[in-house]
Amino acid sequence: MASPGTVIALAARSLWNRRGTALLTVFSIAVSVTLLLGVDRVRTEARASFANTISGTDLIVGARSGDLNLLLYSVFRIGNATNNITWQTYQELKDRREVAWTIPISLGDSHRGFRVMGTTLDYFEHYRFARDRGLEFAAGKPFAGVFEAVLGADVARDLGYRVGDRIALAHGLAATSFAMHDDKPFTVTGILRRTGTPVDRTVHVGLAGIEAIHLDWQSGTRLPGQSVSAEEAAARDLTPKAITAALVGLRSRAATFRLQRALNEYPAEPLSAVIPGVALQQLWELVGVVEVALIAVSAFVVLGGLLGMLAAILTSLNERRREMAILRAVGARPAHVFGLLVSEAFLLATTGVVLGMGLLYLLMAAGKGLVEDKLGIFISIRPPGPYDLAIAGLVMAAAIVMGALPAWRAYRNTLADGLTVRL
Amino acid sequence: MSAASAAAAAPAPVPVVALRDVRFAWRPGRPVLDVPALEVAAGERLFVGGPSGSGKSTLLAVIGGVLVPQSGTVELLGRSLAGLRPAQRDALRAEHIGFLFQLFNLLPYLTVLDNVVLPCRFSAARRARATRGGRGVEAEAARLLGQLGLGDPELQARRVTELSIGQQQRVAAARAMIGAPALVIADEPTSALDADARMAFLDLLMAECRAAGSAVIFVSHDTALAAQFDRRITLHAPGVPHG
Repeated sequence: MASPGTVIALAARSLWNRRGTALLTVFSIAVSVTLLLGVDRVRTEARASFANTISGTDLIVGARSGDLNLLLYSVFRIGNATNNITWQTYQELKDRREVAWTIPISLGDSHRGFRVMGTTLDYFEHYRFARDRGLEFAAGKPFAGVFEAVLGADVARDLGYRVGDRIALAHGLAATSFAMHDDKPFTVTGILRRTGTPVDRTVHVGLAGIEAIHLDWQSGTRLPGQSVSAEEAAARDLTPKAITAALVGLRSRAATFRLQRALNEYPAEPLSAVIPGVALQQLWELVGVVEVALIAVSAFVVLGGLLGMLAAILTSLNERRREMAILRAVGARPAHVFGLLVSEAFLLATTGVVLGMGLLYLLMAAGKGLVEDKLGIFISIRPPGPYDLAIAGLVMAAAIVMGALPAWRAYRNTLADGLTVRL
Repeated sequence: MSAASAAAAAPAPVPVVALRDVRFAWRPGRPVLDVPALEVAAGERLFVGGPSGSGKSTLLAVIGGVLVPQSGTVELLGRSLAGLRPAQRDALRAEHIGFLFQLFNLLPYLTVLDNVVLPCRFSAARRARATRGGRGVEAEAARLLGQLGLGDPELQARRVTELSIGQQQRVAAARAMIGAPALVIADEPTSALDADARMAFLDLLMAECRAAGSAVIFVSHDTALAAQFDRRITLHAPGVPHG
């Protein structure tokens, strides 16, 4: 009685003998597995990257709007604020007992396609990303004066700026704006270390700076004959009248829901307070449909790969009747022939899965930089997780089940052919 | 239809093969094989002649338990094949019969040595007999190949497709004989060889079977070879054996 090892070894030798077609089958399985695992990787990495963008912040507070909208424009610089919150409301929020710190955010201007964000020094102290990493300076220091700016890593790299350069901000968000605040240029005082978050693509200035460049503006246009020079502006009272949103850190997490409710029912003006994690969850529910569709498509591609394997094995059966007959003549039973073909399917699928995983890691290593640059999504290269192993197991199991079909055909053939095939 | 000269050979206590009133037909009413009685004693060498279509291969398939006759009994070493399940017949065949065919006997993707060892991978009894001398199956395979003039280790490690037809048939002979089966069934093994190679091959085969104590049933339409055998029967279409 032959051991399974003998049968598998024979299947491997037989496959190697037909390695041309076998490799094609293996590649088609490998590519499909890469796709299926890759979709999941991109999905989880994108989620992790989004989740990593903001951490340590308990509430985001802005003018009344949808939770998701508030999260997207305040943290991810996607979309625009519908309204502002008054400086007084912000002060009241800041002074509440349960509030440990706040970061004001004032958006609406841009610099050559990168968004400008007005904030305070609290930003550099309290903003956290990727669990518990704080902002660090690659060069220079935080802004201090009114017309000073700190650049994200991408802004500095893409535009070739260094500490000490002078830049002009544009009104509005278009990359080529005709409404320039070019009469009040900003000096770059610092460049942040790369974070892999939208911070890298942001120009940071003080709230006073935002106020100063808008002194002689109203309703989006420059007021004629009311030009205020930079020196005059710096001398004025530059306390902002409003900000776009605020990130809030609490002394105790336990107070989160209470404060959220209080802010959502704020009497003085309509506010929205969202918990970043909850809003992110809403986002995932939204994109979940697309993810499921992508995974379903990938799963069908894998099925296609396996069906290709099935077709390849089935078409090979006829020319291999002699091989089966020889095996029978040396003592292999029909069950061995059955096992031989199931082993063949298993070997093809296993090689395909291993190759597919290798391909995935190769692609991740190669595409890491590009994805970070273009999408701001950080890809961490980690060993195969339970999901990957489950998929691998599933593909191999499916291959075994599918291999049973040609195995059954070969089994029937062997019974009919006996020990010789007259070809 | 009659079995001739069966009585001439003195029957051993347990014949290797015993057929009685065996009839086989692919289609009802048109028998291709009708053997009233046929016995092959241990170590006996039987030549089966007859034109193509006379049922020679069918006879071998029936003896090997691959085909089950519609009537009659087939015994292999005293065990009736009729009472066995297919898996048991397979096991019995793997254990006691070595097969040798006309052409393409070998697996192209294995080396010469691995082809010879193959029956020992599927039958524990063959393996046990092959290793009785305390050597491994590979050593026994190498020894058999050496006896058949293929002793070169470099040649034994080659893939069989690189060998000549004559060499391939000798490899197949070594494979049929490894583990000393009680019976070697050879179906036209020499028909692809030229006349000189044919006689040389037959001599080697006979010598090895004698050494191993294996009985031989040798099927050929080439009656010139029959002189080498203890006994000779001829099948006539449709499957009538004559002495």
